[in-house]
Amino acid sequence: MQIKLLAFAQAHDLLGFREREIEAAPEETPRQLMARLAPEFDPKSARAAIDCNYHDWDAPIGADARELAIIPPVSGG
Amino acid sequence: MRIEPAMNAEIVFTREPIVIPIFAPVSKEIGAVVEFQGLVREMENGGTLRGLDYEAYEPMASRQLERIFDELARTYPIAAVTFIHRLGWVPVGEASLFLRVQSAHRGEALAFCGHAIDRMKCDVPIWKKS
Repeated sequence: MQIKLLAFAQAHDLLGFREREIEAAPEETPRQLMARLAPEFDPKSARAAIDCNYHDWDAPIGADARELAIIPPVSGG
Repeated sequence: MRIEPAMNAEIVFTREPIVIPIFAPVSKEIGAVVEFQGLVREMENGGTLRGLDYEAYEPMASRQLERIFDELARTYPIAAVTFIHRLGWVPVGEASLFLRVQSAHRGEALAFCGHAIDRMKCDVPIWKKS
């Protein structure tokens, strides 16, 4: 299935894109996906979110996933 | 974008300077109104800034804020919250954040305001870059 990979702030700077369509399997975890797509990325530097909810790096994304976002430490306000 | 969930919360992201909405109490039971503005400061981490550039993952930020407001309202029952965050370039001296909380008594409104900002700074996907 195809999902959207979103990268914000420092993750955008590191990965070089803000949004990309990627091929993913429901049983894949965000950690596995990022290791496959961007081995230089360190999951310790950010949190993952699936469809606007924080998601464990090691939990499968599931068949309903549409969007995986990489969320570096936030700094609003 | 603008989302108005059940608990009388208004969440707004804007790329324009924040215009503070004219105050109107949501009911005749309102006895306390707390307002907070966060301004961009010139000195940050020892350096001199001209401003800050803000970005957000807006759909998720709105969802997280709704969740935080709903959770906090269980402990600090308030009547209404208005949250406005500016995105894009915000010059020094201008507001990046406006928060207004209305409640019957000051205790809930003050506590809600402080905790809402603390929680935002931990979990809401908004970023600033100098």
